[in-house]
Amino acid sequence: MDFKTFSFVILAVILAPFAGGLLAGIDRRLTAWFQGRSGPPILQPFYDVIKLLGKDRQVVNYWQIFCVHIYLISSVLCVALFAMQADLLMIFFVMTIGAVFMVVGAMAVPSPYSQLGAQRELIQMLTYEPLLIIVFVGIYLVTGSFKIDDILSYERPIFLMLPLLYLVLTFALTIKLRKSPFDISTSHHAHQEVVRGVLTEYSGPYLAILEIAHWYEIVLILAICGLFWSTSWIGLVLLLALTYMAEIVIDNVTPRMTWKWMLTYVWAVGISLSFFNMALLYANSF
Amino acid sequence: MLAPQMLGISIILPFIAAALCLINVPTLRSALVIGTGVVVSLASLLLVQSGTFSLTPESILGINPDGLIAVLDFALLFVILGIAYRLKNKLIAGLTLLQIVPLAVLELFMNPGENMGPALYVDQFSMIMCMVISIVGSLICLYGLPYMREHEHHLKLEKSKQGRFFFFMVLFLGAMNGLVFSNNLLWLYFFWEVTTLCSFMLIKHDGTEIAVKNATRALWMNMLGGVAFVFALIIFRSQGLPLSLQEIITAESASKLALLPVGLLCFAGFTKAAQMPFQSWLCGAMVAPTPISALLHSSTMVKAGVYLVIRLAPAFAGTLFSNYVALFGAFTFLAAAVLALSQSNGKKILAYSTISNLGMIVACAGINTPAAISAAVLLIVFHAISKALMFLCVGSIEQKIGSRDIEDMRGLVDIMPRTTMMAALGMVTLFLPPFGALLSKWMAVEASAHLPLVVIMLALGSALTMVFWGRWLGMIMTSVVPDKVLPTERMPLFFSVPLWTLAVSAVVISFTAPGLYTSMVLPVLERFYSADLYTAARGVISNNIGMFAIYPVFVVMALGVIYAVRASSAKRFFRRGDYVTPYVCGLQDPADPRRLGFKGPLGVWSEFKTTNYYMENIIGESRITGWINLIAIGILIILLAGVF
Amino acid sequence: MGFFQELLHKSRMKSPWLIHFDCGSCNGCDIEVLACLTPVYDVERFGVLNIGNPKHADILVVSGTVNPRNAKVLKNIYDQMPEPKAVIAIGACGTSGGVFREAYNVLGGVDKVIPVDVYVPGCPSKPEAIIDGVVLALEKLKVRKPEKDTEPLVADLKKAREFYENREERQVTG
Repeated sequence: MDFKTFSFVILAVILAPFAGGLLAGIDRRLTAWFQGRSGPPILQPFYDVIKLLGKDRQVVNYWQIFCVHIYLISSVLCVALFAMQADLLMIFFVMTIGAVFMVVGAMAVPSPYSQLGAQRELIQMLTYEPLLIIVFVGIYLVTGSFKIDDILSYERPIFLMLPLLYLVLTFALTIKLRKSPFDISTSHHAHQEVVRGVLTEYSGPYLAILEIAHWYEIVLILAICGLFWSTSWIGLVLLLALTYMAEIVIDNVTPRMTWKWMLTYVWAVGISLSFFNMALLYANSF
Repeated sequence: MLAPQMLGISIILPFIAAALCLINVPTLRSALVIGTGVVVSLASLLLVQSGTFSLTPESILGINPDGLIAVLDFALLFVILGIAYRLKNKLIAGLTLLQIVPLAVLELFMNPGENMGPALYVDQFSMIMCMVISIVGSLICLYGLPYMREHEHHLKLEKSKQGRFFFFMVLFLGAMNGLVFSNNLLWLYFFWEVTTLCSFMLIKHDGTEIAVKNATRALWMNMLGGVAFVFALIIFRSQGLPLSLQEIITAESASKLALLPVGLLCFAGFTKAAQMPFQSWLCGAMVAPTPISALLHSSTMVKAGVYLVIRLAPAFAGTLFSNYVALFGAFTFLAAAVLALSQSNGKKILAYSTISNLGMIVACAGINTPAAISAAVLLIVFHAISKALMFLCVGSIEQKIGSRDIEDMRGLVDIMPRTTMMAALGMVTLFLPPFGALLSKWMAVEASAHLPLVVIMLALGSALTMVFWGRWLGMIMTSVVPDKVLPTERMPLFFSVPLWTLAVSAVVISFTAPGLYTSMVLPVLERFYSADLYTAARGVISNNIGMFAIYPVFVVMALGVIYAVRASSAKRFFRRGDYVTPYVCGLQDPADPRRLGFKGPLGVWSEFKTTNYYMENIIGESRITGWINLIAIGILIILLAGVF
Repeated sequence: MGFFQELLHKSRMKSPWLIHFDCGSCNGCDIEVLACLTPVYDVERFGVLNIGNPKHADILVVSGTVNPRNAKVLKNIYDQMPEPKAVIAIGACGTSGGVFREAYNVLGGVDKVIPVDVYVPGCPSKPEAIIDGVVLALEKLKVRKPEKDTEPLVADLKKAREFYENREERQVTG
């Protein structure tokens, strides 16, 4: 690893949480605006996290705290690996470590809310994971590689070849962002919903660590979205801005649904869109 | 380097030791099991030092080995015929006769010894298999010693059946070693049938009605594979091919080879590996005591099936048949994962997960690229270790808490902390990176990327896998900070030795996966494939389409684990107010946080109960098994039609 | 450390998360608490969130009188909140027991069970008053209180339990 990559990795690891926090702040502000309120300051997520870091530690069991830290480490590692331009599928699998450990931590506490949230979170993971793998396979079919450096050197925007798979990716993004209609395990905005479900038993600094890890994950998924228009900065920024705006709008106009609906709808729509897009690719190659 | 002797030891010694195990002296039996385990393990390790070689033994104890095998073959089949007569099972009798008659024709009229290559062939792949069988197998036998004592104590048996038990367990080790080293297909067939017999005898070991029923089912399904095997041999001979595995898969003869006999051999492999629609025998086999499930039905015997399919893979590379095999394997992977999700019986989950992994291995053989074959070989190793560990843990847990239901395992960490941590490690090594099983899965997904249907099934199946492991992992860890010091768990020596060895090796071998790949997998692949091979450099396994950074991820995660352990250690929490109870709307009893529940109306204590989503009414075993079998039979028919 | 301490204080001031516990209020005060979240008052401007979980909350907002049945729940919820934390008693009932003060089943205001930092009077309290109360409570949040002293509270609770358990003896028979 040369010095340039190394510094890039360090930079990404340092900047990612700031970007994630800012995005969350903008998100809250825009949501408030949609609802006719003025909303909190843009920096609000940072205040929240710093305050949480300064609160007393509370422990229900030690394993839960272990899980929180593993979640953070794996999220940071994912972003670092992305900055290193490693293998997309490998990054995805490393991301799974964190997601699984967050659920395990929530399940490790015998509180009904936390357990319920953990079960729902598992269903959410079940919903988005196959779709992400299929999206990566789609990227491979276009660029011929799973490695990010090869994908970045592809001369056309992948979006043009994989518009439907991008849509599939946004399903995963919505679930990861904990937005309606898929915010069943814990909601980004509804703070009372199943007592915050999977987050019920995480408190104080550990909740803050979860939040930071979550920011890393959001940045990672958005970076994956960014791969779809990696040829020009304007295209990239425009694509991401539009995607995020669409997420906020969807969040505000849709109700929360049940896990059964989520699973069947997302799999049915996602997999058929993927097949359709792959068929288009094959048709193109003839 | 004494390689032939080591080879002889690893096959023949277990047969001799097994016979001696029948002498009903417990200390002698323990010594025999331990001694055989140690010697066979050492032999398998020493064998690795030698390179590829082949061998035709001139004589075994002064008898012509080919003749001996032929005689034993018939003896074995007549034993099974006798069993069929005792069970009054016409199906098994018919299937046995369907093997005896063609085998007699083959032996008498078709000159099976013609142009026969070496009888035994040793390469890195069979060495890997031998190490898995000898080391993991011996550890499981070791574990069996205290387990069976407790088991029989629990059943209150008047007359110990341990002699019979260890006879078949140890015999099985020899048969498996023979199977993976055989190049002569007749020898392979003999060892194949020995494992079938061992499996039958061990499943019905407890002698209950359900055990006999399930054993019978296992027997007829495996005999079905045996019939396919014999007919494959006959077709090979009628085409004038020698009955030599290496001869069949080498490139020159593969081109002129009709796929039909290869297809039949694969079919035999599918039955042995309990692929859908034959999964029911493996699930039924879970009635047997846990060491049997660990040894035969997850780590080794079922691997014989996939071993044969992987061995044959070069013979059908690039054919339509190959793609169907991939589809068939991927379907098994997905369907077994769905069924595992619907289960709360711990051993059943392990059984379905085993079938699922075997399906993945078969799919890899069908994808038939060097990347896929590497995935398959590596998965055999990693799955064997981790799954053996899981089975042994569940066995211990079952003896302690008297249940194998995962719902009853909530809070297990308080009751048996060490076993729970081992089980957690076993699960993590089975479904999370950077451990080997996931490395194989990563390889498999990347290798299958050009087959959309296969890759989608793999993607769905791998997500399901994560759900059923993830929740089990969460459940066993469920606890609250105890208010008093919990009693430490006591483990018998022969429980802790196998568990520790397996746990440590699951981690260490995952870490050394690049080395393992370069030294053991690459040489095998290089014989058949020239392009797109993975290379392992500086702990990163990569090829032209992807790379997996094992060392970096391992190192970062290891540091992360150390940091997390320190951050969550009990020493950091000492202030009053650090410990809180779980949130139950403020209704908990602060005096006793270990009681899970709340004070209801009139001060009545109500327990609360949470369970997993098993989705019984959507994907329950009884609801969808029929459909899955139907689809699987459909794919199987198309697959076998693909050979023409 | 100065900078970080400053930052922490500022963050605490800017991000008070409330948990609202209804101890047996007539719902008048509850409606007013929720009114604070509406676009008219929009307390999220100040970073205030209405959280449903004591483990995440900084300020416990209690409305209604305390009675023997819910005293323990209130205490449990208070104990599950990590420090630094503050308590606001809302409405006449919350502050003192209000018109139910002398009722046979009422212990009194919230301060009978847990220490209260801010009392917001009114029947019901107006949203402006509640917001004002939150601002006052923020001052208490700034610094972590010394080791909490729960002994008197436990004694109180014990008294309450005895009171409740002896209820049949006190009943006028005949």
